Amino acid sequence: MLVLSRQRDETIMIGDEIEITVVDIRGDKVRLGITAPTCIAVHRKEVYEAIRRENEQAARIANGDLASLTRPIRPGPERTKTGPSRLASRPVSTDGEANQSKRSAS
Amino acid sequence: MEVRTTRFGTIEIAEDRVIEFPKGLLGFPACKRYCLLEPGEDACFFWLQSLDDPHLAFVVTDPALFVPEYSVPIRQEQIGSLELTKLEDAQVFVIVNKVEDDLTGNLQGPLVINTLTRVGEQIVLAEKRWTTRHPLVKVSPVADRSSRAASA
Repeated sequence: MLVLSRQRDETIMIGDEIEITVVDIRGDKVRLGITAPTCIAVHRKEVYEAIRRENEQAARIANGDLASLTRPIRPGPERTKTGPSRLASRPVSTDGEANQSKRSAS
Repeated sequence: MEVRTTRFGTIEIAEDRVIEFPKGLLGFPACKRYCLLEPGEDACFFWLQSLDDPHLAFVVTDPALFVPEYSVPIRQEQIGSLELTKLEDAQVFVIVNKVEDDLTGNLQGPLVINTLTRVGEQIVLAEKRWTTRHPLVKVSPVADRSSRAASA
């Protein structure tokens, strides 16, 4: 990692278009000003990490976790047929071996 | 095409139903191709099954069904990378997690899919209004147990 020392109001350039300026230093807190083209997403890393962690946890969901939900819940406005159904397929098992009830029982 | 999955066995998916996430999903950069599986007629929850990893599947839902005021601000360059010619072609999903008796939706990292080209992207929202665990609906523990018993 490249480490640079900067004082207040000094700037670092990343490439030709990204500028990071030390706006303020107070105690253990540094305020940074960032100028970047709109095509560059700028986020606090915690936000990325939170979404990544949530993705990883959500990937562990099992069939059984949803078993009680396939019927009763139908909230919100009428669903439009052009929405998700334009993308979805039915999970028809072609090998007949593995099926949902078998998985959820395990 | 045939797709191997650990949850549903081997399933047959039409080539024109494959959804591509060129950047993958956060935490899963190598898995770029998915398909959306509909558990039944009028289902509110779908499975987003990876075509690259049989183990990898997410439960997703349309957040508009649960949080009507939710919307995803899409930046101009995201419209470009999603190849969207008009916003009506976009379908938003959120990944669902089960946290104790709640099903929660990751409203901070929604999936936006172009329904015409089937190219998608997980978008990171900067605003703090939405969290990664927005409660969507309660799962009844009693109903859960009975359904497990029935299938065992």
